[in-house]
Amino acid sequence: MITNLVIFAFLVGLLTGAVLVGAHSWARSLGLLMNWWKWLLSSFWYFLLLFLLFTAFTIIGEGEVAAGLKTLGFSVVLLVILGAGLARLLLTDRRRPES
Amino acid sequence: MKEKPDKKEQPCSRREFFKVGGAVAAGLQLGAVAGAGLAAGKDPSTHSGWQHLGDNTQFVDRSKLIRKGPAFHIVGEPTRTLRHESAFERQGIIMKNMQQYKDMINSFDAGEERIEGRGNMEAPDPPQGPMKYPPMDAFEEPMLSWYKDRPDLYEADKVRMEEIMPRRARDSETYKEYYTLINAWSGSWSTREPITEPPEVSDFKIGQGRKIGDPMPFKSPAHASRLIKKVAHHFGATMVGITTIEPDWHYDFGLRGSRDKGSYKIPEHWKYVIAFGIPHQWEQANSNPNMASSFDAYSRSTIAARRLETFIKSLGYPARRHSPMDGYDLIGVPYLVKAGLGEQGRHGIAITPETGANFRSAYITTNLEMEIDQPIDFGVEKFCEHCQICADLCPSGSISRAPNNHEMNHRGYRHWEINQTTCYNFWMQSLGGMGCRICLIACPYSRKANWLHTMARKADTADPTLAVAKSLTYLQKSIFDAPEAQDFLPPPDGEYANFREPPEWLDVQNYLDIEARPPRKDRMP
Repeated sequence: MITNLVIFAFLVGLLTGAVLVGAHSWARSLGLLMNWWKWLLSSFWYFLLLFLLFTAFTIIGEGEVAAGLKTLGFSVVLLVILGAGLARLLLTDRRRPES
Repeated sequence: MKEKPDKKEQPCSRREFFKVGGAVAAGLQLGAVAGAGLAAGKDPSTHSGWQHLGDNTQFVDRSKLIRKGPAFHIVGEPTRTLRHESAFERQGIIMKNMQQYKDMINSFDAGEERIEGRGNMEAPDPPQGPMKYPPMDAFEEPMLSWYKDRPDLYEADKVRMEEIMPRRARDSETYKEYYTLINAWSGSWSTREPITEPPEVSDFKIGQGRKIGDPMPFKSPAHASRLIKKVAHHFGATMVGITTIEPDWHYDFGLRGSRDKGSYKIPEHWKYVIAFGIPHQWEQANSNPNMASSFDAYSRSTIAARRLETFIKSLGYPARRHSPMDGYDLIGVPYLVKAGLGEQGRHGIAITPETGANFRSAYITTNLEMEIDQPIDFGVEKFCEHCQICADLCPSGSISRAPNNHEMNHRGYRHWEINQTTCYNFWMQSLGGMGCRICLIACPYSRKANWLHTMARKADTADPTLAVAKSLTYLQKSIFDAPEAQDFLPPPDGEYANFREPPEWLDVQNYLDIEARPPRKDRMP
């Protein structure tokens, strides 16, 4: 069990690193003027996405499929609303996108 | 930054690679998290109370939960329970007064069963023909006066004997194939080992009637307590607590093994009570009330009690077990609270940090001097005041909807009280393993011990404002589907519903080559 957890944490850590590098490249490509609090807000949104997904599938795994799907539906709505706000915040102030 | 001229000619720039790689990694991460969530939800090691049976005696560090004050507040003159006041014990008196049962060979008598140490027996099916409940005047004192004070319970008993039990017999026969496996499962746990001698004799005997030896001295009461808890845990107890005897919390009749079935004095060697609990098998507990049984946890706690009793006697100390299959001389819930295993909930039973309400208890009375535990407070009292999920789901309406228990006075003590008689009446309406455990399993504290519910329970315990408790209760009621209370009843009022669908191993159609007709065609497989 512990071994599985360590392997899982290692793989998720690798993926997190790749996501961070990719996010940085996307920000430069789109010409986003990122600063520390924008990175913080973006990270918060992404980890909220992971957390809510983890929560919904935990509930489904318990056998409470209907409750899990309700949680998933609520999460999508919440994340779309927050994501739209975040996108507007990031896209309003940017330089010409780099090719 | 200017790019080198030749870089434009590359089919895939480093940045493009990172962008695509990052997007793929995000997708993989989302998939991994969803998969991990599924695994966390399914993980059988998160079945509450079954997480591990390792060296830790208890899962929760109770030292931070100790509350000030007594386990219960005395608000009147404390009295002990008389036989007719217990719905289960009263059944024996009732049957002796009913002509139809008088004619039966080996008539069932729950009170006799308990006194003879045979524990909780199921009532047999009633005899054929119409049932006629005796008029109130046919009963002798003190039951007659008690009935006159509680005519509602006379009516409830009458309904059970004239309508509910014959209907259960009929439906049990109609659907017996469908409940083949749950009946086999429930029955296989029902081993019994009667206590046939009074405490002054039986508590001092071990094995084949051999007298116990001289008591082995312990280094200190704390050492004794620590050893007993460790051993009880290895014998199968999930959580263990120790406290002192309270004479008010013992029945005032029918000491097991005693020929005198009347009132008795608490034996002098009963100085301490070891209380412990073991949860129900998780999957079948969730498919209450018809596809589940009480006897799995009854049996496990009884066997642990027999082992622990023998262990204590082997060290030279008298001991007596009080357990579901071998009977009790004491009332358990107050001892669970006083021994710090948990708090009493609205449904009248104890709620522990490890298992919620999903467990069955057993007890050992002894004179082995041990360090005692203190009552704990992890927020149950306040939580129960606003939750009411158990009261909402109780098919017999036996659980109080009062805002709190402040006005309740039960034999001199303030605590939650349910209507045991109407509760028992519903037992007799359920099929399968019989009985009802909906309040045990529907209790929010009984949810799985995975990261999600563990986090919720810890947040609730740490929050004095009740905001977390109210939010969690709202979420449970609005997100998690459950049948309506009435659905648990037999047709035509209900449909023999279960709290959750039964596990596949209790579905006869998956394993047996027989025709089985489910009582709920629209919802059962």
